[in-house]
Amino acid sequence: MISLQDVSYVRLGTPDIEGATRFATDYLGLEISKHDRRAVRFRSDAREHTLCYFEGDPADQTVAFEVGEGSELDAAATELDRLGYAVRLGAADEAATRHVRRFIGFRDPSGNSIELVWRPERLGRGYHGKRDAGITGFSHVGLCSSDVVRDEAFWTRVCNARVSDRIGDAPLLRIDEVHHSIALFPSDRAGIQHINHQVATGDDVMRSHHFLIEKGVRMVFGPGRHPSSSARFLYFAGPDGMVFEYSSGVKSIADELLYRERQFPSEPKGFCYWGARPRIPEFQDSPGQE
Amino acid sequence: MIAIDQLRYVRLGVQDLAQAVDFAERILGLQLVERSEQSACFRSDFRDHTLAFFVGDAADRSIGLEIHGHDAFAAAIAELKQHGIDVTAGTDGECAARKVRSFATFRDPCGNPIDLVLRPRHSGWRYFAARDAGVKGLTGVALRAVDVPACEGLWTKLFNGRVSDWVGDASFLRFDQAHHCLAYYPSTVGGILAVEFAVENVDLLMQSAYFLQSSQVKIVHGPGRRPTSNQIFLTFAGPEGTLFSFVTEGDDILDEAGHRPRQFPRMPSSFCAWGSESPLSEFS
Repeated sequence: MISLQDVSYVRLGTPDIEGATRFATDYLGLEISKHDRRAVRFRSDAREHTLCYFEGDPADQTVAFEVGEGSELDAAATELDRLGYAVRLGAADEAATRHVRRFIGFRDPSGNSIELVWRPERLGRGYHGKRDAGITGFSHVGLCSSDVVRDEAFWTRVCNARVSDRIGDAPLLRIDEVHHSIALFPSDRAGIQHINHQVATGDDVMRSHHFLIEKGVRMVFGPGRHPSSSARFLYFAGPDGMVFEYSSGVKSIADELLYRERQFPSEPKGFCYWGARPRIPEFQDSPGQE
Repeated sequence: MIAIDQLRYVRLGVQDLAQAVDFAERILGLQLVERSEQSACFRSDFRDHTLAFFVGDAADRSIGLEIHGHDAFAAAIAELKQHGIDVTAGTDGECAARKVRSFATFRDPCGNPIDLVLRPRHSGWRYFAARDAGVKGLTGVALRAVDVPACEGLWTKLFNGRVSDWVGDASFLRFDQAHHCLAYYPSTVGGILAVEFAVENVDLLMQSAYFLQSSQVKIVHGPGRRPTSNQIFLTFAGPEGTLFSFVTEGDDILDEAGHRPRQFPRMPSSFCAWGSESPLSEFS
């Protein structure tokens, strides 16, 4: 079994790296770690980077997970290969640009590009965002899934994820005590469905709501509160249609033995406890539902 | 010095009683206690009622403040008269309408009617709301005043009111540990600006925010957080020009001797720390 320790970073292709950088710093509140000509890496916490925009196709999206030991990376490659996944060993220069010791890449059953990394760098100096968004760190991703039952089996059997709750068919998966690090949403495309950063307080969520509206950023869901994870949230649209989320107060699941996942309805009430209605296709039963 | 025990009620004169009753039940979610052709009153907590609507003039909108004990009540009336303030004792019929043993009315320096009440009725029954808005009780009233310093002077000199904070000239007055029970906002007219009800928590306040939107109630300020009291608030339009607020959280002033009123500048960020803005001149 592949033991995922943490979600590590996302890599997003974009045709407009300047615009994406402005969004990531001025609006999202991340800090530039390194600005190269063809790629920019951003920090959200103690890590060297947790988001990378590179010049390329916006459909080219990757999420990386950290594994604990170098030997686990080799074992994962062997296991994935045995199961029929095409595994790519990361070249040394690629590992260098990712600021990890070693990594492998593959595609999950829905075709999402996944990387497993060993020894991603963290910096001695703290993260200091461009604006006071209160970000405490990159925390989870939503992934598109063409078959959530099959993909849930991949993440929970081939990897170490556990189901924390389901909203309709969508499973919310944890790899540690945090309620979820991966969420799978039924979709007819592959790719990252949303990118979550945690913020320190509910006040930060609300402040950002007003700040981003003033900047003309399109709100797609919230402010609200998830009945599943208890987190207060705000979803908004970023460059190339990517959905970003701030949330605060996500629940921890301390008791692995006694915890039972719950089934929430796939309707606005299943997503928000305050009454907000999502305008995100994957959070709606039928497209265009309000 | 006259000691105010607590805020007891707000009485609002309205033209359209039916609409006001509908608002109180369906939107505020309060419990209807008594309804007649001419008036209706609502509970929000342990008190018999805290909100009353009556068919009448908007200028007759008053608040009721409780004085504890007959002697203190009599002394209060004497003291106000001594300072040249007109005080009118309530008739038996008026006392019955307010469900108090006695009351006396005077006007603050800006003409806002104030009832001082003795032995207002308590309810033995559990408060049971019309909708689950999580209302915990009437907690404050915001008043408009042409001359805020004069009104502030009345409450701090003749009464036991203390200034908790100022935003520009707006003055937040407390009579106990709660940050404020009365707030005066500078305006060109007098009258009740907003009636504030405490709700249990931020979840209920935000649920109400979405509920009000879907009910097409005009939200005039918030949801937001007040830098002064640290309360989370939501202010919305009620019947015939009166605003209502739901508030939750907030800091009490526990160090009575040590607290110094703070002066915040008169700008939107002094009224809301989240960045919400209001079209109302009182909050901007």
